[in-house]
Amino acid sequence: MPPQLRLNAVAFVSPQNHPILIRTLAQPRQDELKYHYIAHTSLDVIDERIAAAAAAKSTECYLNLLYTMEDVAVYGYVTPLRVKIIIALALTDTVVRDVDVITIFRALHTAYRLSVANPFLKLSTPLENVNDHAVSLSAGGTKWKAFRRRVDDIGRALGAPVTGAAANVY
Amino acid sequence: MFVGGLDPPQPPGKNQDPFAVLSYRLREALLGQRKAAVWQPQKDKTFQVIIVDKDVRFPPRKLVPPEDPQYHAAHSPLSPLTPTSPLYPDGLIAPIWIRKHTTLVPSVYVVFMRIYESPQAARAPLEPSEADREREAEERRRDTELCADIAQRKRTTSERGVKLTVVLLASRKMLDEPSLDNRLTYIRRQSGLDPRAALFVLSPVSPSEVGDFVRSLQEALYEPAVEYYTNHSKRVRRKRNRHSQSAAAYSAPPIAGAAGARPLRPEGWTVRYEYKMACFAEFRGEDEVALKHYQDAYSNLLIMFGSTAILPPRTKRWAEAKVLADCISLKVCKLYLYNNEHSLALSHHNSHLRKFADFSRGWGIGEETFEFWSWLARQHRAFAELLEQGTRTTLKIPTHYNLGSSSVAAAAAAAQALDSGQRNVLELDAMRALGLNPLQALQHPGFYYYMAARCTERRRERYMSTTKAEEQANTTSPGFTNEKKVDHLALALELYTRSYELFKAHSPPTTQGHGRLTLWIAYRIAQTYFESGKFDMAVRFFERIAKTYRREKWDSLLQPLLSAWYSCAKQMGDTGLGVRLLFEMLGHGVRTQQGDESSTQADLMEILKSTAPEGPVVIESSETQPILDASVVFWKHNVIVNEATAFQLSIKAKPTVSLSALPFVSLIVHFSSDIPPVTVHHIASDTSEVAVIQRIDLGHVEIPFAQDDMKSKKVEGCLRWCPSGTIVFSGSISSDTPAVVKISKVILTLQEGAWKLEFPLHPSSDRHNVHPSWLSSADPIQFIPVRGEHHTSVSFHYRPHRVEVSLSHYAPAYLGEDFPIVIHVTNADDRDMEMIVDALLQPSEMDVADNFISLGDERSTSLVKAVPLGIISPGVSTSVTLYLSNAGAAYDRVVDISVQSRALSSTEPASPTSPGSPTAPAVVDRDETLRTLIVPTIDPIHAEQQVTYRRSSKDQLGLADLRTYEGDFWDDGNAGEAIVTTVIRCMAPSGISVESIKLTRQDVKRAKVLDCSIEQDQDDFLSEWLPGDEFCGRCRISLSNSDEDVSEETFDGPGKYEIFWRRILPEGTQGSLSVSRFPLPQLRPPTDGLVALLDIPPIAKLHVPFLLRLVIRNGHPSRAANVVIQLEIDSSDPIIVSGLRSGRIPIILPGAEETLVWKLIPIECGAVKIPRIKVMDRRKDIHSLASLEAEPDHEGEIVRIVDIRSDERMETSGEVPTWDGAGENQRDGNELSKTPSSPIILVLP
Repeated sequence: MPPQLRLNAVAFVSPQNHPILIRTLAQPRQDELKYHYIAHTSLDVIDERIAAAAAAKSTECYLNLLYTMEDVAVYGYVTPLRVKIIIALALTDTVVRDVDVITIFRALHTAYRLSVANPFLKLSTPLENVNDHAVSLSAGGTKWKAFRRRVDDIGRALGAPVTGAAANVY
Repeated sequence: MFVGGLDPPQPPGKNQDPFAVLSYRLREALLGQRKAAVWQPQKDKTFQVIIVDKDVRFPPRKLVPPEDPQYHAAHSPLSPLTPTSPLYPDGLIAPIWIRKHTTLVPSVYVVFMRIYESPQAARAPLEPSEADREREAEERRRDTELCADIAQRKRTTSERGVKLTVVLLASRKMLDEPSLDNRLTYIRRQSGLDPRAALFVLSPVSPSEVGDFVRSLQEALYEPAVEYYTNHSKRVRRKRNRHSQSAAAYSAPPIAGAAGARPLRPEGWTVRYEYKMACFAEFRGEDEVALKHYQDAYSNLLIMFGSTAILPPRTKRWAEAKVLADCISLKVCKLYLYNNEHSLALSHHNSHLRKFADFSRGWGIGEETFEFWSWLARQHRAFAELLEQGTRTTLKIPTHYNLGSSSVAAAAAAAQALDSGQRNVLELDAMRALGLNPLQALQHPGFYYYMAARCTERRRERYMSTTKAEEQANTTSPGFTNEKKVDHLALALELYTRSYELFKAHSPPTTQGHGRLTLWIAYRIAQTYFESGKFDMAVRFFERIAKTYRREKWDSLLQPLLSAWYSCAKQMGDTGLGVRLLFEMLGHGVRTQQGDESSTQADLMEILKSTAPEGPVVIESSETQPILDASVVFWKHNVIVNEATAFQLSIKAKPTVSLSALPFVSLIVHFSSDIPPVTVHHIASDTSEVAVIQRIDLGHVEIPFAQDDMKSKKVEGCLRWCPSGTIVFSGSISSDTPAVVKISKVILTLQEGAWKLEFPLHPSSDRHNVHPSWLSSADPIQFIPVRGEHHTSVSFHYRPHRVEVSLSHYAPAYLGEDFPIVIHVTNADDRDMEMIVDALLQPSEMDVADNFISLGDERSTSLVKAVPLGIISPGVSTSVTLYLSNAGAAYDRVVDISVQSRALSSTEPASPTSPGSPTAPAVVDRDETLRTLIVPTIDPIHAEQQVTYRRSSKDQLGLADLRTYEGDFWDDGNAGEAIVTTVIRCMAPSGISVESIKLTRQDVKRAKVLDCSIEQDQDDFLSEWLPGDEFCGRCRISLSNSDEDVSEETFDGPGKYEIFWRRILPEGTQGSLSVSRFPLPQLRPPTDGLVALLDIPPIAKLHVPFLLRLVIRNGHPSRAANVVIQLEIDSSDPIIVSGLRSGRIPIILPGAEETLVWKLIPIECGAVKIPRIKVMDRRKDIHSLASLEAEPDHEGEIVRIVDIRSDERMETSGEVPTWDGAGENQRDGNELSKTPSSPIILVLP
């Protein structure tokens, strides 16, 4: 049995590099800003990897370890529609199996898909750009709780102590 | 390597001693070849060279002189056993030991010396003189002195096992002396030098040759040097072994005068020996061995640290050991990296950090002390520096991202293998394939510098907290006093800057060094500047970073940055910047004090009240977030001129900050087009509380009639916003000219004291978080979300014209007629209209401009443009007829008809007041009605023609016949006739009335119409034809022989049928006269070879003789015919024949003919068969000749007999005639009616 991975933070970033949702699951929550920075800086590495993947005509979504910084290892994933998912795992001195990380990413991707599929997201947005990324951005907004709940569920499944109250608001 | 005997450096000048130059060059070559560096993975055979004096002395091996009897018991001056040693009594190893081996004691000692050369005297070569003998004696004496000198040096070096090598410098001439060899041998023997690689001779040479010499010298000495260190290692290993054997029973040797101090423990000795062996192995370049020894030393050190009894914390020895452990750890990392074992190096580094962090906790210098963080920062920094050194030369940072599905498959396979419990040797590889230990993924040194900087920051935090504690306790520990001297922030700044540079260097090329990672470091640098009070530097950084963060709309990063930036501005007293930043913070909803939503505006008001600006300030929010979100909604997008439509401009405040105290004085709404702006002036509301939703009526806005009317409209209202409060400015708008109107900008003005600030807001620019909505009811407040397009602008149009256009026509159109299409135009509007008509015939791919349209006088193959209909009053209709003339094939024609109308209004618009953008609607009130018509077109008359050919039975005229020379002679010789049958069918659904039909003859060279059936009964055709009616005409054409080659047999028909007709319209009238033409088909008469034509009358009378003529005609162009004829009469035949029964006729030349005549008398009535005649051609072609041999009784080819009474043939198929049996039948063409085997004659009584 591989050692339990600890999920410290999850970030969803839109194809236009705007944050959709950045959720800190680690306790204590004082480092929330740090994870915002990690999500933002990861985009550099992700862009580089995407370019490399495009050059090699690869369709792989999983972008592997992006970097390690202080006490976290940052992993990246890009969905076929270019939504970037970034997770920060607590750094332990063990081999992290790619299969496990990919499983987490798949779960997060599913959570995102289910949340964006919410038809009410488009309720008050202008008609002409229903496919605009504004819709996906609003999925992470404070108004919609389901996405956050789904992400928290995944965090809880990985053993992160999640409290419902301390929602990280973007 | 020590090098002695090279004179102090003198730059080479003129007239210098060549040996001085040589000596200088040697120094250069030796010193320049290798710099001692941290990262030196290459193993080339070069030495570290130290230039020493010729009479250098090595440090003594032991303190007592060798003559002393205690010499053997004594230890090295650096040994812990020596009381005067700094390590006495329990030190591990001192840096001076390394220095001893790197700078004080060499492995090889090279001495450069001059060999004596006697001054050259001119002498006769064949005259051995006294001088020679003197010279030899002198040489011998000098050499002996030299030997003594060398021998003395040899003694000191061999004492330490150091190899001594002597390089004798001699002039080039000396090298050629025959006596040199003897002298060298003498010197070596006398001075006791080694036989190998101990004596060299060098003469002054060029720099490149000096280099060669230095290289070969080192190569020769490399082995002795390695041997020297190997011997050291062996000695140390012996000691270690001896020591570990006796370790169990080891008791400290009695050391006088050190009763209190405890001697070094066995573990300590092991560390000492292992460390020494590792060093020697490293000197030898044996990295693996060195690594092994270093690891052993390290693990023994760990054991020592594990027990406070062995190494009591916070003692001098403990501190030394700690430094030693750090050094060894770094060495281990480096050796791993030399071998490209990145993950092992990193894992060692991490485990070192972890283990010593654990130890530190035990020693009371855990994470809560600045000592710990200082140590950690140093470790990270050292590692980073090592990596940086490495990456400059050979070290490559591995990439952790490999593409390709194969890795995924391998990982899956490996996972399976692991799950099934097959843990074997492959496990490590499998684990690697599975994934990565993130702790063992080596990254570029920037990351480690960053870590070091972070640790330094922590160190500072701990220091600060300690400062407070110390102040309270009023005591100072020595460590703290030290710490006081450290400028933490400068340290952190240096580390961050180095990290920044490395991140910049390692950032992907696309970002041009401005990646987000570098920005992050830059932010940390700015923070550090801020904390160290260098606010101007911090501001410069903040400015650059903020640009990117604003562009990326990553507000969560921008907000803390703005707060810090504002603090800087506050510290610097820059009010302009401070105000700007505060407004940006308001725009982002940032509070200067957490929990107080009006803290930001309070700060702002304080600045505004207390200071005065340098000039008017405009807060431009094009790239920053505006403090208020504006959105505009026009209720309708398309509006008719002079009709009013409602609009609402909503200006909304942020939810997290309050703006209620900001003294806005006015708001100006600017419209596009020529609508004057509307100004809203602030008036204080009655209640102190600001409502969440306020509404201010702007009234009606319109384009003024005259220029001088351009006065701004003024309205009053309360311009205060509470958190997430909204003010809705509502109004209506109209325009009397077509225009597109939007709200171009809204300018909000704030005035406080001397400050006057303007905020341009752009409601049309799209911000993704603003969803427009329409305030439908103020009480209760209700908004309708506006989701349609174009809500940000309104477009004024003229009212569409009510023009009715209808088309009438009777489809289908017929080919060849002018098909009328009537366009009815009715003006159903209430204005006079001037109208014009355009018609466009769509081009088709099937015809090339065979079709025309005509409208009035205009006629065109495609477009008839601007045919005026004149001014049409309301309610009046007019019509115009468009004619479509079709030719060519039958398909659907497409016609576009456009009726354009222009209203002739009484109020013609004045000269346009604005140039008007291209997208603006036309100023002229014009409209267009479009119709598209598809006209099916068919052919009204269908004609089918069929041609048959008949042979001629007329005699050919002889060659000399004078008639053939007449000009109008029609030589119809044997060409025969063609019969053309034409079936004409009416296809027009409405029927046509045929006015005339005729065959127009045309002059064609080889054919002429003899007669035609319709010329006789033309009247039968002239009637109304209904669909399905069919008529038939026959026409006989005489063909003539051409003078040219007969094979050119195709020619045009000699005429055409012309039918003049009119369309029968539904109301019984007839359309215009149209004509359809059907030319006679092309003629291709068939040709004959050899043929027999049978000519008999159709009727005979009983017992009255009649003639049977058989014409045998040779139509072949080149072959003569040899014909045999047989007439077979049966006795039962009811006919009597007189004439040739059987015989051969003369040879028929090509083109000639022969006629045979029989007289026949019928003796029975009825249809009587003519006796059978057999005509055979005996002439064979070559192929047949060959077959004749095999078939001797072959009689020849049977020649076809044609009864000319029923001779009808289709045209030839165009094949080249052949003369074999099969070809002949074909060549005859297709007989329409098979000739009966025997022709029949009707015999009447």
